[in-house]
Amino acid sequence: MPRISNALIRHARSIDKLLPPLLRPCRELRAAQNELRWLREHAAKVASTRNAKVRDTLLRNLVLERAKGKPLQYLLGSEYFGDLQITCRPGVLIPRQETAASVAYLARLVRQAEELPPELRVLDLCTGTGCIPLLFHDELAATRKDVRSRYLGIDISRDAVHLAHYNLQKVWRQKAYADKSVTAFVQADVLIDPFDDQNAGMPCFKAALNHYRQPPFWDILISNPPYISPSGYWSTTTRSVRLFEPELALLPPPNPDASDTERGDVFYPRLLSIAQHVEAKVVLLEVADLDQAHRVARLAQDADFFDGIEVWRDWPDQPNDAEPVELDGFPVIGQGNGRYVLCWRAQGAPWLGKDVVAKAETEPLSHYSLQPTFIYRPPSKIPL
Amino acid sequence: MPPTTLLRLPSLRPASASSVIRNGLPVCLRAFTTTGIGLAKQLPPRRVILDSEIEESFLKGSGPGGQKINKTSSAVQLKHLPTGIVIKCQESRSRSYNRKAARRILGERIEEIELGEQSRTAIKAREKSKKKASAEKKKRRKYKELAEAKAREDVEEDVEGEVEEGAIEHEVQAERLPAEEGSKGG
Repeated sequence: MPRISNALIRHARSIDKLLPPLLRPCRELRAAQNELRWLREHAAKVASTRNAKVRDTLLRNLVLERAKGKPLQYLLGSEYFGDLQITCRPGVLIPRQETAASVAYLARLVRQAEELPPELRVLDLCTGTGCIPLLFHDELAATRKDVRSRYLGIDISRDAVHLAHYNLQKVWRQKAYADKSVTAFVQADVLIDPFDDQNAGMPCFKAALNHYRQPPFWDILISNPPYISPSGYWSTTTRSVRLFEPELALLPPPNPDASDTERGDVFYPRLLSIAQHVEAKVVLLEVADLDQAHRVARLAQDADFFDGIEVWRDWPDQPNDAEPVELDGFPVIGQGNGRYVLCWRAQGAPWLGKDVVAKAETEPLSHYSLQPTFIYRPPSKIPL
Repeated sequence: MPPTTLLRLPSLRPASASSVIRNGLPVCLRAFTTTGIGLAKQLPPRRVILDSEIEESFLKGSGPGGQKINKTSSAVQLKHLPTGIVIKCQESRSRSYNRKAARRILGERIEEIELGEQSRTAIKAREKSKKKASAEKKKRRKYKELAEAKAREDVEEDVEGEVEEGAIEHEVQAERLPAEEGSKGG
């Protein structure tokens, strides 16, 4: 990181005495000025407006904490996620703008679909502040009053589930939605295989669904899991993220057998198998970069469950102006770094405005149906 | 015909045309006054900017994004392709707010170029300066009259004071008063 020049520090000091400490985390004068303005607004709002001395002390403390690298969102207590203001607390990952861009883009695609199920079910694994289901609902409810939707956010952290509940209440009170959508947040461990021995304290995903009487099938699965590999954690994350944001939300759990990249990818096979369990029609998974997007897309292709796979960059609504346009056969959409892998199948294709893939003729589905039928079939013809 | 004073009161029953149902209850949208509505001149319609006319970009730093970096900047930059005007907005932490604000500013800027003196901002600025000028005029007139009245009183008191005993006290007060007026007026 280049050293901040003395001239810049002197210039900042001539504008405002509090600017030089803010240059350390911001690096640029413009950014520092913006942050100082927001901190000052916050201090004026929090401190009693009459008492200028209290306000100035508060502002100075905030600036000093920011200079140590504490994220602005933790200091101000909130972050904007699309149109929503989401409350942030230390111990829970701060929502990122790239996530908001992709989730809003997906919701806008889905809300244009002509035929949606009477109850659209959206599952969000590793939900954190609960921002993803809340934004998805906000975007969907903006134009589709006819669709009822159900959301479930799952996280391993107790603090995250509490905060998600808090955000749910806050957003619903603020926005005064009139539709009959249901949102729930539940604590569970996504990584535990439901068919393994259940000896951990945390329930597995399946057990939590059953316990909280949630439906077993979900239409859309979104996840922003921990995806940073240990080497990437030490080399590519910023100091502010490493020191102040929860490691639990960034690094997948340690595994002595796995290599560095494998450890970064720990969540994706589990997420894809959950997608198969809940019969998701659309799956949107966040990744770190194009390389990881490539690996995850290959993994999804090998699962042989989806009709189409796509890679989204940071801003999927912008035209793609950089190479590559295609990654090993998967189209790459948008501008910025590789950020999301989108998979769809069956009814998911028309929801996203994709062409329906004509599937090869297979055995009629009625053979596999769990619905009671009154047609007698000789036992040999019924599989299972 | 009801007396004229009653005409100034709002109607107690909501008129069907101006009432809406909110939360199942009819709400009267009629204002509580009969003056001042519809008297202001209609402003020209806002300039509509088509999405095809502008190029939007988010000023993003290089390097990895997502979980690895916690960005606080949500600046939005708009470029109007036909005129080449560039608007940058980083007023708020909310990107959607900045996008709307940037569009609003761009619309105003284009209108100023296209309509000149007839644009919304020019009309608004003119009205504002007119109001300010008339307020100034009123203020000046008021304090002038006050000062004149005071001066007249003082003269009368001075005349009486020659007869009374406490003349010196009055004089002192009269000296102080115009100074106070001056500080208030400024």
